[in-house]
Amino acid sequence: MTPLEILVAALTGQAAPRIPVFCNFLDYGPGELNMTPKEYFSRGEYMAEGQLKLLKRYGHDNAWCMSYVGIEAEILGCQEILFPKKGAPNVKDFVIKSWDDIERLTIPEDISQHPHWQTTADCLSILSQEIGTTNPICAYASSSNTLPILLMGMEKWMELVLMGPKDLREELMRKCSDFCQQQVKAFRKAGAHIILYATSFGTPYFISKKMIAEWAVPWMKNDLQGDAGGIVYYCGGAPMNEVVDTVMKEVGIGAYYISPLDDLTEAKKIINSNGLTCAAIDDIKMVHWTVEQTRAEVKRLIEIGKTGGHFLFGSSLMPLELPEENIVAMIEAAFEYGRQ
Amino acid sequence: MFEQYVKDYNEAIIETDKEAAIAVVEEAISNGVTPEEVVFKIVMPAVEDMMQLVIDNLDTNLAQHFMTAQIAAEITEKMLAQFSAPPEIIGKAVIGSSFGDLHSLGKRIVMGCLKSMMVDVIDLGVNITAVDFVDAAVEHDAQVIAVSSMMMHTATGEEGSLQIRELLHERGLEKKIKLIVGGSPFRYDKELYTSVGADNWAPDGISAAKIICQLIHEVKAS
Repeated sequence: MTPLEILVAALTGQAAPRIPVFCNFLDYGPGELNMTPKEYFSRGEYMAEGQLKLLKRYGHDNAWCMSYVGIEAEILGCQEILFPKKGAPNVKDFVIKSWDDIERLTIPEDISQHPHWQTTADCLSILSQEIGTTNPICAYASSSNTLPILLMGMEKWMELVLMGPKDLREELMRKCSDFCQQQVKAFRKAGAHIILYATSFGTPYFISKKMIAEWAVPWMKNDLQGDAGGIVYYCGGAPMNEVVDTVMKEVGIGAYYISPLDDLTEAKKIINSNGLTCAAIDDIKMVHWTVEQTRAEVKRLIEIGKTGGHFLFGSSLMPLELPEENIVAMIEAAFEYGRQ
Repeated sequence: MFEQYVKDYNEAIIETDKEAAIAVVEEAISNGVTPEEVVFKIVMPAVEDMMQLVIDNLDTNLAQHFMTAQIAAEITEKMLAQFSAPPEIIGKAVIGSSFGDLHSLGKRIVMGCLKSMMVDVIDLGVNITAVDFVDAAVEHDAQVIAVSSMMMHTATGEEGSLQIRELLHERGLEKKIKLIVGGSPFRYDKELYTSVGADNWAPDGISAAKIICQLIHEVKAS
């Protein structure tokens, strides 16, 4: 079976020789091509080449057509991204500097025609041609409750959510939901198999479960317009166990990227065979682990999740500080212990 | 009656209801409660209660931390202007986001709590170099440097806390100035703070304020 078929088997509960093994090599592409992040992310061809080289080097299952999260803000008018020498770029110029800017914010009629979308589109196009029939291609989309963080910063967004005028907050959510709908549609059309749906306010670590159910969830439904195919629920690494049941019932999302801070046994029990449990290893701790510790943790996670299928093993955000031998050990162990 | 104000204020904080919290304080003041009592017997205990909930790992969220700090800071600032005598400041801290890091929410929570706990806190902003952290701590005679980092490369990078530690060492300031770090990467690896040269760390803004107060006391006692 191809990695893509193995993923489909995990999603549908069919038999497969092993579980899917995902790695999120988002920051590793520039190093692979001996480029700075700024140079690397300037062209979709570079991004695709980086992902293909990483796929060849490590042999994991998936590739990413993502540049950096700030690209969403650039499509909406952000003028400056802070590119570090290494590591993830972040938004330096906020599009929304005052609440008046919310009214002025315009969502392009077709984001796939926007110049800033082009690098992602080019990357996705190359990946689709090269590996689209064999390997899962992943994309990233900010939900309506997460995109405002890139547009105005977490501090100001939190202020608006909790203390600001509700009509203004909802106006921004409507615009961001419109953007999210377009982005999800564009990714699907261009051949992405998996869309990591980032929902920072979809975790009880951020806001109360009541507020998630009454405010965030209805907007999630609007973001996805009744089609949760290929969507993976992701809370930026924050815990989600307490809301999985609600999101599953209300929004219909079938795959959950469980936080290393969550209890995986509990997650698997909640999701059961109704969806895909994706276990993320704590790769920040892994920076200081030995090879033996890395293998032991992979084994522990897979032993919890593998029984009954509907399970995927994956990394978290893979910091560049990870020792090479730990990355190799993690992937080898995942293939070894993930045999079915 | 006073106990009722305390209870109502705490409920408003848990519900992240700023208007209700301010209404409680206004009613208390109009019924003869002094500004000093508002700060020391209502606001500060509410911050400490939230700290305890976090320490006990009970069900609190970032929104509650944010509102606890925000409301505490706003009310404390208003009340301080009405104090009969200036309050005793327990110490000073400089705070900022590490070099290359533009995230600011965490430090705002820490600052709000510290203000209500009578710590003079100087906000250096975001994307702060190690030299600027140390220079500012010296200039303001601060006992603590607090560094917020939300990304792994800003938490562990050579131009962040590691360099602050080096500068403190080179300038012979290690006994006078303590270094605390916080932010997302430290929540995943509870020992990470040692590898970046920090004296301590905190998993959230509320706990950070408590640890900063402890560090201030340590420096003053030495």
